[in-house]
Amino acid sequence: MHMADALVAPAVAGCMYACSTAAAAYSVHKVRLEDDAKKIPVMGVMGAFVFSAQMINFAIPGTGSSGHLCGGMMLSALLGPYAGFLTMIGVLLIQCLFFADGGLLALGCNIWNMAFYGCFIGALCIWRPIMKGGATKKKITIASILGCVLTLQLGALSVAIETLLSGITELPFAGFVGTMQPIHLAIGLVEGLITAAVLCFVHEARPELLWGTEESDEKGRFSFGATVGILAAAALVIGGGVSLLASSDPDGLEWSMEKVPGTAELEAEGAVYSAASGIQEATAFLPDYAFQNSESALGTTVSGIVGALMVLVVCVAACLLFRFFKRKKAEA
Amino acid sequence: MNQAIRELQSLESLSKEDRWVNNLHPLVKLFVTALFLVLTVSFDKYNLAGLLSMAVYPLVTFTIADLSFADALKRLRYVLPIVCVVGIFNPFFDRDIVMQVGSLAVSGGVLSMLTLMGKAILTVLAGYLLIATTSMERICLGLRMLHVPSLLVTEILLIYRYLTVLLKETRRVTNSYALRAPGQKGIHISAWGSLAGLLLLRSMDRAERLYESMQIRGFHGEFYTGRQESMKKADWIYLAVWTAVLCALRFLPLTAVLGGWIA
Amino acid sequence: MSHIHINLDHVTFSYGKGQPVLNDLCLSAAEHDSIGIIGANGVGKSTLLKLLVGLELPDQGEIRIEEIPLKKQTLQKIREKIGYVFQDSESQLFMTTVEEDVAFAPRNYGLPEEEVSRRVDAALKRVHIEHLKGKSIYRLSGGEKKLVSIATILSMTPDIILMDEPSVALDPQNRRNLIHIIREFEHLKMIASHDLDFIWDTCERTILMNDGRIVWDGPTEEIMRNEKLLTENGLELPLSLSRR
Repeated sequence: MHMADALVAPAVAGCMYACSTAAAAYSVHKVRLEDDAKKIPVMGVMGAFVFSAQMINFAIPGTGSSGHLCGGMMLSALLGPYAGFLTMIGVLLIQCLFFADGGLLALGCNIWNMAFYGCFIGALCIWRPIMKGGATKKKITIASILGCVLTLQLGALSVAIETLLSGITELPFAGFVGTMQPIHLAIGLVEGLITAAVLCFVHEARPELLWGTEESDEKGRFSFGATVGILAAAALVIGGGVSLLASSDPDGLEWSMEKVPGTAELEAEGAVYSAASGIQEATAFLPDYAFQNSESALGTTVSGIVGALMVLVVCVAACLLFRFFKRKKAEA
Repeated sequence: MNQAIRELQSLESLSKEDRWVNNLHPLVKLFVTALFLVLTVSFDKYNLAGLLSMAVYPLVTFTIADLSFADALKRLRYVLPIVCVVGIFNPFFDRDIVMQVGSLAVSGGVLSMLTLMGKAILTVLAGYLLIATTSMERICLGLRMLHVPSLLVTEILLIYRYLTVLLKETRRVTNSYALRAPGQKGIHISAWGSLAGLLLLRSMDRAERLYESMQIRGFHGEFYTGRQESMKKADWIYLAVWTAVLCALRFLPLTAVLGGWIA
Repeated sequence: MSHIHINLDHVTFSYGKGQPVLNDLCLSAAEHDSIGIIGANGVGKSTLLKLLVGLELPDQGEIRIEEIPLKKQTLQKIREKIGYVFQDSESQLFMTTVEEDVAFAPRNYGLPEEEVSRRVDAALKRVHIEHLKGKSIYRLSGGEKKLVSIATILSMTPDIILMDEPSVALDPQNRRNLIHIIREFEHLKMIASHDLDFIWDTCERTILMNDGRIVWDGPTEEIMRNEKLLTENGLELPLSLSRR
């Protein structure tokens, strides 16, 4: 799920950084408003907890494989959307710096794909409405599973869109989405179950730790059933719909975006794509040196690679000499 | 998990060594890393030549900093799978021949796949270079100087501080589980909630103690760090040299000219 | 006549609505006193220490620290005078390096940087760990962590030092070293522990607690030899005596 630096174009990375920064700034503002000094140590320790708990292998019954905890949903349920979001940022930053899981450039994308959906959508649109009027085990399980599935679907879809906009793959959008969504549907279900188990345990032992579960007489706009219904429908549309759409074509992989008429959603994406590539062309430095059309560039490429290899050979030799002399000096 | 702990500790001790690159200003290293990343990924998907020349940066800096390429390349294991998934299909979709090396015809798809792999390797190397020569405290100091809110920076420092503590605790718990449940591959469903849940409650208690410890030492929601670092001459030189070299490699058709001479 | 530093007047406390953990406690301690608090698990030793630094506030009764009544409004002032060393050093040390952690409190009290660094050096010197100054917290051994957590409160230059189970998980050499350091302190000390030998080596006066009350209060020497009283309250003779 973590995007790598290599997969994003600068324009896409910058755009996602801007979005994530805006969400982070808003969250910092919100958390400061709460004026609760205790939030800081709790965020720090919970971040470290989520990080290490994600390393536990939970055996999935009946299969030989194992699943993991869903960090975003977990933090939403414990800290609420804003503090949860900021905590996830910390977790993602440390993952990318220390474990090269993700990348510094793709951090903006990863924050959006995982932390934003997991915390903002997960907490505000799923957890809170479902928990209205007090938490029960059943509600927690439903919210966890729905939340994990929905936020992972959104995340996977974003990964596909961001990769596509970056223009580094020939993989047709439909094919990519068609593989990403079903895989993440399964992952979401398992993660949801594990997260539900942990949250139910917390609910039994220390119910006051769960966020947004205070019992209130205030009537919600939607009843519990309606909320779950709406959310389930949304999950179905995003998860099932998009992947169905993608795989409806028997040769899903040959299916390219321009060939699909009449799908408003996808056309919009086409527009976004061309807009983004327009931005990229405008920002691409020295466009005539970059290979606009491969025909004329044939000669340049070969000589270019030869030249690059020369540079590298000289560089490697210099480095080896440097290390050699350094060692000599150390020995002397 | 053992590997994660080991990796954290080895990076931590590498970054604490007293080497020239380690002592550079964190902002300078952040900037050069960011510049390198942006320039590297901005190469067109067929521009393998330009991308190759960017390898000058990791080659030179790894040598100066005396870092191991092997350790850095091991870190590819997380990003390589997704990069492969995305790149592996390029040769199937893009079959136009764009390059002829002797009798070998190279299609656009192959070239773009190689370029993508190259980008993955270079970006991972650059990330390693940053974290192996800069400690987390100094990166956070840099973030503070970039006006990242102290709330966020403090929280990141605390996550980092308690990461090893909680990883070790998690390892103890899972080890004790494994010792009493031989032959199981992971945590059985009956213990899903309680095992991680208890760990969570203990972490919450720890956060509570932590808060108490902060309170009795006069904490009111703001961390003060006394240190301020200013840029030294070496910092400016490092910054200027790499900015110039990286921009030259990216924008000037050096490799093509050089290759033209030879070929 | 020495100054009265700590005064508890009929203090009762309970967590939430449960059974009182501390029940009608009266206690006073003077400057330079060294007081051991002993008792079985769960008799309220740690709770008593927490009340003294205002981490919990009493349900009934009054606590005065250096004549200042302990209330929400006076917490800041009182915490400058009283330092608390946690049982779990790992939770007490939350910054990344020793220096940063020891400097945490003085910086929070708004001291100028030169004064902060002077205090850090003095505190580290006091517990003989000047050499650890630049080290990361994760690189410290258990014994070193304990000494650093003591240094973090010494940098506030308190008059009173409270310690919760300081000898837990220390090896014999570190334990002896800690005893030596504590004996050098001229502060008013209160040490909660069930390591009776440790108390014997560091405290002149001992309070025995059971069920949230003070059962016995007097010279350490006396209680340590009173096997009957100790066993009645869930404790045993100190090892150094029972071996004989």
